[in-house]
Amino acid sequence: MTEIYVLIAGTLYGLIIGIIPGAGATTGLIFLFPFMMMFPDPYLAVVFVMAVVAASTTGDTYTGVLLGIPGANSAAATMVDGFPLALQGQATYAISAAVTTSTVNGLLWGSLVFFLLPWYTGLILIFGIPELWAFTLLALVTVTFVSNRWWIRGLIALGIGIFAGMIGVDPDTNADRWTFGWDYLADGVQLLPMIAGMFAIPELINGLKNRASTSTAKTANGTQTRQGILAVWENRWLALRGGAIGAFIGILPGLGGAMADWMAYGQAVATTKNPDVPFGKGNIRGVIGPEGANNAQKATSMIPTVLFGIPGAPFAAIIIGLFAYLDFELGTVDLAQDTKFFDSLLYGFMFATILVGVLCLWLTKYIAMIAQVPYKYYFPLLLTFVVIACVQYTGGWEDYAILFICSVIGLCAKKYKFSRPAMLFGFILAERVEALSIQMFSLYNIEKLLDRPIFWTLVLLIVVVATWGLTRRNKLDYV
Amino acid sequence: MKRFLLSLLLVCGISSTALADYTFVVPQRAGQGTTVWAEIIAKELEPFLGEKIKIKMLPGARDIPGFNKWHNTMRDDDKTVMVSHGGNGVSFLQENVDYDYREYDSVGMMNLNIIAGKRKGADMDRPAFPAGSGMVPEAFAIALLICGPDKSVDEYVNCFKKNVTWVKGMKTAERRLAFKRGELTGTRENPATYKKHVAPDENAELWFHHGLLQPDGSHADDPNYPGLQLEILFKKRWGVTPSGDFYNSYKLVKSFRDGLQKALWVNKGNPNRDKLAAALTAMSKDPTAVANLIKKNGKYDWYIGKAGDSQRDKLLTFVTPSALENLVKFNKTALGLKSVYKEDLAK
Repeated sequence: MTEIYVLIAGTLYGLIIGIIPGAGATTGLIFLFPFMMMFPDPYLAVVFVMAVVAASTTGDTYTGVLLGIPGANSAAATMVDGFPLALQGQATYAISAAVTTSTVNGLLWGSLVFFLLPWYTGLILIFGIPELWAFTLLALVTVTFVSNRWWIRGLIALGIGIFAGMIGVDPDTNADRWTFGWDYLADGVQLLPMIAGMFAIPELINGLKNRASTSTAKTANGTQTRQGILAVWENRWLALRGGAIGAFIGILPGLGGAMADWMAYGQAVATTKNPDVPFGKGNIRGVIGPEGANNAQKATSMIPTVLFGIPGAPFAAIIIGLFAYLDFELGTVDLAQDTKFFDSLLYGFMFATILVGVLCLWLTKYIAMIAQVPYKYYFPLLLTFVVIACVQYTGGWEDYAILFICSVIGLCAKKYKFSRPAMLFGFILAERVEALSIQMFSLYNIEKLLDRPIFWTLVLLIVVVATWGLTRRNKLDYV
Repeated sequence: MKRFLLSLLLVCGISSTALADYTFVVPQRAGQGTTVWAEIIAKELEPFLGEKIKIKMLPGARDIPGFNKWHNTMRDDDKTVMVSHGGNGVSFLQENVDYDYREYDSVGMMNLNIIAGKRKGADMDRPAFPAGSGMVPEAFAIALLICGPDKSVDEYVNCFKKNVTWVKGMKTAERRLAFKRGELTGTRENPATYKKHVAPDENAELWFHHGLLQPDGSHADDPNYPGLQLEILFKKRWGVTPSGDFYNSYKLVKSFRDGLQKALWVNKGNPNRDKLAAALTAMSKDPTAVANLIKKNGKYDWYIGKAGDSQRDKLLTFVTPSALENLVKFNKTALGLKSVYKEDLAK
């Protein structure tokens, strides 16, 4: 019974955090850190976290459609046609189509991931140190060269992230490195202030700036709900293609929802010949195409996250931290044998996807009211929760100082379009790449490496991704 | 901007900490081994102490800053207790730390044995073993086992570097995984984690253990793993018991790590020491509390109050200039660690 209450609580929290402009899964998960130890059973916390992920991904449709502001940047693509539909009095039509697509793709890809995840754990033993090294590099290359248009800025952002990630202890000598004489830094820059500074704070402040652009589109009746569901059925292959794109992007480490959504939106545009309504003016295919991608991407990005401890997307980096707090170390043999853990992932994600889908279709009118509350009322509360979550390390002034520094860097990166995901991934994976490099060169020589086909496949993939990223300049701006 | 600043002020107010009777200072963050241990001890100890215990985590690199902070600014508070672990003991020997065990009274400490496992059939004369400052006693043990008796420290260094692949940069979970995959041929665990991670692996077996530190300063064979103590294996292989400068350094570093594996300290002369020790004694005799501790931490002997002081004093007799010099020399030249020779400690 407790599981059901936790599931409902996680779903409602995720839905609300998804609806609040500028918030979304990443910010919503950061808020959870101070409360993780309050769960009587760590598996309940896993259910809650997965429910938040599933529900917030569906919930962020509301602000995109009703206010023309994405709840998280993953809903930006939906907004392009969703908001015009809302202005035309068809908000419920757009929302119900978006929610139906999200639910279907969430369930489909959630099933493929979470039911089968225990069988994928054999990969942990197949992937040795060289394969993990290559996979980690693949994540860095992908996030730098593919996830944004300006690869030089991406490289600079990656460099900054790697520099920050290498502050702390030198794995070679076990001595302090780049701490500038500040003992606090000897344990490294902490993950939470880094993520909050990169993502949560800039988005919250951005929400303040955007408050003037909100509209008051009205939700309507049950007829539009049925029409929305029907539209998804009529465009079912489009919806499934969008989900498949999201799923593919999710498996690749380092790529977040925004890219998946925009690619899915692009395929919706490309596969629609002579549209009745131009895209950008309220074409329902512009809503259905991208909306399934983010749910599918959230599900599949849990594969590299759980199996190897390499985040599939920025939100997954927080999940790694949250689960570590609960003593679940991702990418380990212990966890691979913990069936209750996998059951909790499955239960949380799948049932929350169903629950939030039903709630959104049934109570759209009331849920939409959350989106109409002026942002100025949310802002102090959200900022408070973010800061509290980020000062759990020592509770001293140093925690506040690091959060402030990271926030300034995050705001500058957002303003000048330096890839924040690249910076974050550089930060998270720097230590790992360095350690894996040391380990690989200690244990392997070229002869031993020649016997490892997965390693060479991944190396080839790195070259292909980097070349593709460098030569293809007409990418959309995902930053 | 005004709203932003007001929010920030609100946050600073909310994040102030709650009050409690006693504070246990832990040099780690939530979820780490010693923090978990301290949380269990605090929970079990509270009924016998009759007062509330709050855990204050002061994490930092190699768990040193928290201990330093307690030493420098918190130990005069009679209700503040330091919780330390074996890694702090090793750092005390070879790093410039502020804390100094000689200036404290022991509330209690747990003595622990550490066990090394190996892959079955692997050539353990040329092992691949995970590195780290916490693995220094294993490095000494491996050098002794492989290289034999009657060698200078330089000879041990050369022999170790020639035969042992010392793999740096591995965290606990990574080394367990690499050992399971066979990339590492050796690893080490405490008895509880050995049972969980190595013993069930049909391709792994026990390599050696360090033995249990006795009140007289000797190390006894572990009855759970008889005949596999380093000293016994050494004699079997080389025909003599280990001795000499290098062995003394090994004994020093393994004793400070394993003998001080989990310890509670208060400042010397703290009036609450006896009360805390009495509560700990009562707790250590309570079957329910003991069962809860064993469930999470394994079964280890307690040295409480003055017995803990004696154990600490015995450990300090191992600190001699030559043992310390050799420890630092081997660390620097064979293991690549930036260890420092603490002349004051040797005196």
